Amino acid sequence: MKITNQIKDTTIIITLDGELDASSSVMLDEALSDPEIMTYSKILVDCKDLNYISSAGLGVFISHLQRFEDAQIKLIFYNMQDKVRNVFEILGLDLLMTIVSDYEEAMTIADE
Amino acid sequence: MLYRTNAKSLFITSALISWSLLLANVLLAAESMHRESSIALDLPFVNNFLIVVFIISVFGFQRLSAENLKGIDFIGYLWNIFAKGGIAAYLSIALLMVYRMVTNYSSVQSPLLLHMVYQVNFGLLVLFLAKAFYVWRQLILYHKNKFIQIAWDWYEILLFATLILTLLNFNYSSLIFLPLLGLIGLYTLFLCTNLKWVAYLTFNKKGRSLILLVAILLACYIFADFFNGFADSPLLVIDYSDVGFLLLAMFFVALYTLASFLVALFSLPTSSVFEQKSEDLLNFQRLSQSIQQGQSEKQVYDMLFESTVKASDASAAWLEIFKGEKKDEIELCHQLTIEEEQIKRIRHLLLAYNIQHIDYINNNLDRNPGFRDLTLPWKSLIILPIKSKKHLFGVLYLLKDIEQGFDRETVNVLRTFTNQTILTIENLRLVHESLQNERYKEELKIASVVQDSLIPKKFPSDSWFEISTYAKAAKEVGGDFYDFLQLSESRIAIIIGDVSGKGISAAFHMAQMKGIFHGLMQQDMPPSEFMKQANSALSRCLEKTSFITSALYIIDYRMKGFMFARAGHCHTLYYNSMMDDTFYFQTDGLGLGIIRDKSYNNHVREMYYDYNPTDVMVIYTDGIVEARNPQNDEYGEDRLRYMLTQTYHLEAEDIKYAIINDLLDFTGPTENLYDDQTLLVIKFKPTQPSE
Repeated sequence: MKITNQIKDTTIIITLDGELDASSSVMLDEALSDPEIMTYSKILVDCKDLNYISSAGLGVFISHLQRFEDAQIKLIFYNMQDKVRNVFEILGLDLLMTIVSDYEEAMTIADE
Repeated sequence: MLYRTNAKSLFITSALISWSLLLANVLLAAESMHRESSIALDLPFVNNFLIVVFIISVFGFQRLSAENLKGIDFIGYLWNIFAKGGIAAYLSIALLMVYRMVTNYSSVQSPLLLHMVYQVNFGLLVLFLAKAFYVWRQLILYHKNKFIQIAWDWYEILLFATLILTLLNFNYSSLIFLPLLGLIGLYTLFLCTNLKWVAYLTFNKKGRSLILLVAILLACYIFADFFNGFADSPLLVIDYSDVGFLLLAMFFVALYTLASFLVALFSLPTSSVFEQKSEDLLNFQRLSQSIQQGQSEKQVYDMLFESTVKASDASAAWLEIFKGEKKDEIELCHQLTIEEEQIKRIRHLLLAYNIQHIDYINNNLDRNPGFRDLTLPWKSLIILPIKSKKHLFGVLYLLKDIEQGFDRETVNVLRTFTNQTILTIENLRLVHESLQNERYKEELKIASVVQDSLIPKKFPSDSWFEISTYAKAAKEVGGDFYDFLQLSESRIAIIIGDVSGKGISAAFHMAQMKGIFHGLMQQDMPPSEFMKQANSALSRCLEKTSFITSALYIIDYRMKGFMFARAGHCHTLYYNSMMDDTFYFQTDGLGLGIIRDKSYNNHVREMYYDYNPTDVMVIYTDGIVEARNPQNDEYGEDRLRYMLTQTYHLEAEDIKYAIINDLLDFTGPTENLYDDQTLLVIKFKPTQPSE
């Protein structure tokens, strides 16, 4: 699992590469717990190379969801593989989180 | 054993007989020489034969009895020679004196008495030599190698071979045999250099062995003097100094005694070094064996302190042990001739120099102004931290009242001690930890059994539906669960769930969920209401990153339908026999514990479905569809659905086995599951209960 950050103005783009399982979700939790992340208005998560997400990985996003919402930070997932998207959908997260097809769409939603 | 006892008694008998015969023969010869010297009954071959038999018997006996000597009680060996052999010499001299007194007193020359005394002394001499010979053999062969063993064996053979000369009545002192004798002498000299045992004597024992060795030497001298005095005596009919074997044996015994004496004498000053070394070695052994003996860390530190103080001959010392992880909790567990006040001052100074926990040697404290100001009575200091790569266990401080007190040799020994201690302590802790782990494993086993009991093994067998279940946890305890509750005669509630994560925490949440299920369903509520209330209940007790997916079905066979709600759980697979179609119920529903307020209520849907006889419902957890093969492909919903289209006509039990077998074919034989797997197959039966 590789987590990389890219910053564009008030947007932070987090790229997930690999499998988000119980051990790598700790890394993700650390990245999302960084107080600095609260200074951005948008968090874009690029899931192009995310091959698998475990319940622990989902748990990390869920645990931060409320916090971002309260701070009015938009959390947007894009480029999600069908397999991974299916996991989000089964759990019902697609109705809670914003999941879009590509970067452009993500940026337009983010700018609304 | 019997053989040895027999051999021993045989030797004793033959020795006694041969000696008596020899005595008789000698006395007879003496008598005849005395009376009528013309008819001298000269039977040298008979005499020689008897001598040889006697010697071999006595030596043979001693050889057998000397083998009982074992161990490193060398003083005991020497005492053995002295008590059993050396006394013979003093006895012989006493005998001679008595003889002299008798002859002087009565002023009668009695050749018979003389021969008697001579003969007895001969017996004593052989006894002494045999005893000494074989005790020395044991000592020469102490810590033997193959070469010495062979050398000794040949020496023994060679020596006994000289008995043939006596048997054939050759005169060994003739010129032909002189070079041979010389060679044997050199051989003896070589053997006498094997004195390893002397090194093992402590200072005190060396002193005592010196006295014993002198006594043995004296015995040798007495015998030599006696037989030398009577050599070629015209008064005697027989001359044992002609027996070359005795001479050689005497030479060997005396030489080895002398060599031992000299070596023991000259090694006296160095023996303390050797003693120290062997004590160090012994202490190392004790340290390394302390694990087997189940000793505590404290005892190991005791040993370390004692051994290092002794090994370095330190005049003052103390040992600090760190308690726990933090370095500030110091326990002063040993103190030797040093005040706590002084320790405090030294430690303060070391702290100032920032050298408190590192290897440090100062062999001249007076040269350092800091230490000079402390006005300590010591001149050398060594600090030995007891630490492994990860851990600092303690620090050992040794002080000496002389300069250059800790030379390289001593420091090496001290380091070896501390290293051994570290090893021992770490091993002790490892042993402790593994015991602890063993206990955890046991407790986990219990947890596994407890959890197993939480999952129902048997559903109520009814004629209107059949159910078959499969559950396998990835670890000892898992987060998957299913359960049922008979709501009324015609209604049954079935729940399946999956707690995020694995292991103990998941198992706890699973148990919680089971409690919520039984608690809420007592009130018989619709599935969607159950999900809402369960979410509310779980919101208060679930960890932030945990959530639970679940699906609840309430089957009513009187109405021939079931009501269900899904909370983030895998879609239910269904086979409709009327339409002959297999599909997944696509309903919305958010997992439990994701939204922890009232807004969850908008996220759960309820569905009602009328079932037909022979319809099949497959309920499962994500461990089934997300199971992977070695190529990292997932089993998937499609393959599961395909399996049902192939097997729907079978009984529930057989459908389950078909799916599980296909799953195992797919994943291949793996010991470790990636996730818990649970599968429930429900088949509605065509026959309805008669009412």
